[in-house]
Amino acid sequence: MKFIKYFFPFILFLALMVLLLRGLSLHPSEVPSPFINKPAPSFQLPSLFDRNKMTSNQDFIGHVTLLNVWATWCVVCAEEHSVLSEIAKNSNVVLIGLNYKDSQAEAIKWLKKRGNPYHIIGVDQTGNSAIDWGVYGTPETFLIDKKGYIRYKQIGPISPQTWEQKLKPMVEKLQKEE
Amino acid sequence: MFPELGRFALILALYFSLVQALSPVWGYYKKNSVYFKLSKMAVIGQFIFLSFAMLSLIICFINNDLTVLYVREHSHDLLPLIYKMGAAWGGHEGSLLLWCLILSAWTLAFSIFSSLFHPDQTELQEKILMVLGIISFGFILFLFATSNPFQRDFPDNVIIGNDLTPILQDPGLIFHPPMLYFGYVGFAIGFAFAIAALIEGKLDKEWAAMCRPWIILPWAFLSLGIVLGSWWAYRELGWGGWWFWDPVENASLLPWLSATALIHTLIVSEKRSVFKGWTILLAIVTFALSLIGTFLVRSGVLVSVHTFASDPTRGIFLLSYLTIIIGGAFLLFAARIKYFYQAPHFKLFSRETFLLVNSIVLLSAVATIVIGTLYPIILDALNAGKISVGEPYFNTVFIPIMLPLLFLMGLAPHMNWGQQSFSDILKKLNFTFFFSLILGFFSPLLLGFEFHLLTGLGLFFGIWIILATIQYAYQIFRTQHKIPLQNWSMIVAHLGIAIFALGITINKSYSTEKQIKIAPQESVQIAGYHILFQNLATSKGPNYKSIQADFLINGTRTLTAEQRLYTAHQEFLSKPGISTNIWRDIYIALGNSISDDSWSVRLYYKPFVRWIWFGGIMLLIGGFMSLLNYLIKRRVVKHEIH
Repeated sequence: MKFIKYFFPFILFLALMVLLLRGLSLHPSEVPSPFINKPAPSFQLPSLFDRNKMTSNQDFIGHVTLLNVWATWCVVCAEEHSVLSEIAKNSNVVLIGLNYKDSQAEAIKWLKKRGNPYHIIGVDQTGNSAIDWGVYGTPETFLIDKKGYIRYKQIGPISPQTWEQKLKPMVEKLQKEE
Repeated sequence: MFPELGRFALILALYFSLVQALSPVWGYYKKNSVYFKLSKMAVIGQFIFLSFAMLSLIICFINNDLTVLYVREHSHDLLPLIYKMGAAWGGHEGSLLLWCLILSAWTLAFSIFSSLFHPDQTELQEKILMVLGIISFGFILFLFATSNPFQRDFPDNVIIGNDLTPILQDPGLIFHPPMLYFGYVGFAIGFAFAIAALIEGKLDKEWAAMCRPWIILPWAFLSLGIVLGSWWAYRELGWGGWWFWDPVENASLLPWLSATALIHTLIVSEKRSVFKGWTILLAIVTFALSLIGTFLVRSGVLVSVHTFASDPTRGIFLLSYLTIIIGGAFLLFAARIKYFYQAPHFKLFSRETFLLVNSIVLLSAVATIVIGTLYPIILDALNAGKISVGEPYFNTVFIPIMLPLLFLMGLAPHMNWGQQSFSDILKKLNFTFFFSLILGFFSPLLLGFEFHLLTGLGLFFGIWIILATIQYAYQIFRTQHKIPLQNWSMIVAHLGIAIFALGITINKSYSTEKQIKIAPQESVQIAGYHILFQNLATSKGPNYKSIQADFLINGTRTLTAEQRLYTAHQEFLSKPGISTNIWRDIYIALGNSISDDSWSVRLYYKPFVRWIWFGGIMLLIGGFMSLLNYLIKRRVVKHEIH
């Protein structure tokens, strides 16, 4: 029994293999949102640039919205940011940001550097609202219709193609709805 | 025709790997050395046919044979020739073929050089060839069963290629993956050495001496591969960063860290006959980490900026393969390791202890990266939610672990084997210590730069390693009137780490960046440089359209930042303009057009950024020096025999 400790590397390795096997059946990028065609979860968050102002579900009413979850520590978000800027410039969809588990000062610095495509940004420092929304990573984007119903969820960055081919036609369709 | 020939060559290579693995076993039972020769012939045959398969794939790309699925997905009529060749390993299937080819090249090199330099060690070589044959068989089977690069597909209508992902269309692609693979795959030899030692139940001086070059050489290649990857990310991704703690980057760093630990314990095993268990364990772990890295990248378990296509059967196959090869090795380790125990014959304060601490620290670093990389899967598997772990985690956890190691690096070479008196070392190094402490902490203040604790600490440790290492070199020179090549390799590698550490410290502390809106003929100041946006031009490349912006720096040098639109993918890629000297880079990336004539532009001033990569290249030089030393020594030994 003295040499049982020599099995330690093997046991550790086996545990790792079991974990990876489990990992194979998970699809990190294909999690359907249970919220599609349901009202957006209610939330109320302070705004990034003005803490006295609140962002809430009221901001969705009357226009088509893209709610984009981002953070300064997320490398892909920086890449996505240029696409969002294009969208903000060329389309009349309203972009709302959800700053996820981030430092406020960093976030403001980040936007000052890169420009701010968002209409308003809610600060979710604890990540609690993001949990309500079923967010598991950044970036994620929700397409919300004029009545505040979630219609589509984009996981991962919006590329120029996904915007042109997928999101833009949906936005245009939703804008025609009453 | 070439796809079929390539596929046929793969089948032959598969059989050769089987012969390579089985004939030593057969020879062992028959007590006949002919079977060892047969195994060596199989190594040659396998190399020839895998080379032929790779060549066929490259020819398919050059001919732009779009009936081959893999070519269609990764090439395009208009892709420049050099990238067509590089594209042969730009995707999953081709890169696995490259993996197999490189393993076969390493095996061939081993079989030639080991029988040249160690003709009396045939038993060890037989076992090593057997293990390598098994590894190779598994991988070629994997290639064949799940990832055939020669798959044909004849569509009904006219087709054009999908083109190579624009981000991969860079000279870096030609060299970066082969270098990384030369590193990763090379550790298979060290692994085979460990298995052979476990089977034989002994690990002697000869084993360690014979094994060393086969650890150091892949390690040197891996160092270069990581440096090339980081340099590529810096130029191509346009974010001005050089390391992103991306899962794919982590996968290459992990075996590097454990191989670094292995190189050091191997010295102790060779010179002092202790730490044999550690050496074997580290050799297994290093190769295991290479394979796990391959798995993580290839299975799609992790989402990364590198995102490759994923297919669950591939993941299952790789996982079974890993479990058999590495799990088997760990079981063997558990069963046989009792034969390697040796009572320690050194005191607590000695070079042995320092080298032991070195490997423990490096393994802890490995553990933190593994945890950080896999944490999202762990949580997900426990249904505890989905998260992503980013740079803040790694910076908080990794840096404090590695900093003490930098301090030990200056100290360890001055320690004696066996036992070291504390007062002696204090006397010897106290001046160096205080001098680098003062220089490190006060130079930013004296030169009028902003001061942070971590900056001071980084500078202190960097200078400390340089001074202590030079002092060590000087002492050797005084007693021996020359510095042997073996010592040179250590000196150069350690100085490389110091330069790397200084580069990171200064770069992290004093980089500045600006994101601005700018129109032609406007100018901007960054870090004392005056930058004028001269003009804008459009041009056309072979498979892209481009907009080029010229910037004049301080009225003398022109930098061109480019924005390319790759037509097949409809994807934009920013090619930054970079002005370089050894003290700093100026880095300009062209963003989007904001209005008719003004553009969003990002400017970076990056001091000492080249030092980071230069340090990495010094590691490569150190590694090659050690190899040269081995070759020369072996020649001397051979002459003595005759």
